[in-house]
Amino acid sequence: MRFPDRRAALSLLLAFSLAPAFAAGPEEVRASILAQSRERHPALSPQDLAAGAAAFDAGRRAQAELNRPAPGAAEAVEAGRKIWTRKFPNGRSLAGCFPNGGRRIAAAYPQYDPRVKRLVTLETAINQCLTTHGQPLMDAGDPATMGTVLAYLRSLADGRKVAVRATSAPARERFEEGRRLYFTRMGQQNYACASCHANHSGQYFGDTAIPSPVGAAVQWPHLRDGRPVTLQMRVRECLDRMGAAPFPAGSDELAHLEFFLAYLSNGLTIRANAWRPPS
Amino acid sequence: MRRRLRILAAAAALAAGSAWGQAGEGRALFIDPGKGNCIACHQVPAGAGPAVRADVGPRLDAARLKGWDRARLRDLLRDPTRANPDTVMPPYGRHRLLDDREIERLIDFLHALP
Ligand code: HEC
Ligand code: HEC
Repeated sequence: MRFPDRRAALSLLLAFSLAPAFAAGPEEVRASILAQSRERHPALSPQDLAAGAAAFDAGRRAQAELNRPAPGAAEAVEAGRKIWTRKFPNGRSLAGCFPNGGRRIAAAYPQYDPRVKRLVTLETAINQCLTTHGQPLMDAGDPATMGTVLAYLRSLADGRKVAVRATSAPARERFEEGRRLYFTRMGQQNYACASCHANHSGQYFGDTAIPSPVGAAVQWPHLRDGRPVTLQMRVRECLDRMGAAPFPAGSDELAHLEFFLAYLSNGLTIRANAWRPPS
Repeated sequence: MRRRLRILAAAAALAAGSAWGQAGEGRALFIDPGKGNCIACHQVPAGAGPAVRADVGPRLDAARLKGWDRARLRDLLRDPTRANPDTVMPPYGRHRLLDDREIERLIDFLHALP
């Protein structure tokens, strides 16, 4: 039940979206999604919602409690730290490409970079550094390399508040692109991300409560079966369930979706490397 | 979850024969994650299908489906977005998730629900 290629999946993108077409800016969009969320879940704060399905499911919450810190998190962070500090043949390292060796920077990603005219995720920034120093790139879909580096880098921003900016015109366009994708039906099942996450958050799909879009960018990477799962990896799993060929790891589409979700998490406290149950 | 549902689907298909007749095939389609996967969103009365926490869609039983004749159910299963453009329920016919015969078997199952 999968489309053989991405073109076929995209040809099924429907013309209409689930949300009324509005020319609202990022702040208005965020306010309206927060308001919808407050209405659906009056007892839960945005920070509560960052727990994903556990926000709605006492059993899942108890399990998450028992798994704090998440098994495998310390190992993932350490493996990432090693890659982060390893010297390239020219004596430089990933750490040397970022201010303060990368401390606290994760809270501000994704960000629009006017020099390359692109939305830059942590993954893209890391690969830009590797390119600069003539090193092989890391696969944004690989838990053992990119996943562990992000586990480390995001741990350096633990306790900081998400602070993603969409003020410049091109950044606002990228946000709008993410919003549009989130509300567009895709794939054979004809779901949009919003059909489940915005309109049915907190209800059970199978045995799992559907997480809210609010707070979705706070706890990643998640540790599942001891392995780090980045936001992009998780979104690709949902795309697969939608019967759409997932956008490739590291693609602009995933970056736009991540930017949209991260913006909705602005002001919430980062709690990286949180536990999620095996799928 | 998928794996567990797939096993349940296989078990349901085996058990389908006598008690449910025609509807047995519909029940298997209702449960199969690669077919209807209706059970991901709809609960059914105990005994008619596996117990799940699913509640994205309404619980389906004889009382709820009063007034849903074959034609109305057929329209819904072919394309629920015609009645409700914002619905999360997939357009099984329009997107060829199920063929006409499978849709008829699902209708048999829905009409056999207690
Ligand atoms: C058919 C319903 C459905 C659709 C459509 C869907 N998701 Fe999900 N999504 C889920 C469920 C259920 C989970 C929870 C899985 C779990 O925790 O076991 C989830 C989990 C997630 C998570 C992780 C949340 C957390 O904190 O654990 C993210 C992020 C996410 N989805 C984003 C998306 C995006 C982006 C799209 C569209 C490209 C999408 N989803 C489409 C049902 C869906
Ligand atoms: C992703 C969720 C989802 C799936 C999967 C799904 N449904 Fe639904 N269904 C709904 C929702 C939500 C409604 C409520 C009506 C609406 O949204 O317009 C509904 C309504 C219905 C109704 C009308 C009941 C009423 O009283 O309103 C029937 C019958 C039905 N579904 C049968 C099925 C069958 C059979 C399948 C599988 C072949 C299925 N559904 C799969 C979500 C789903």
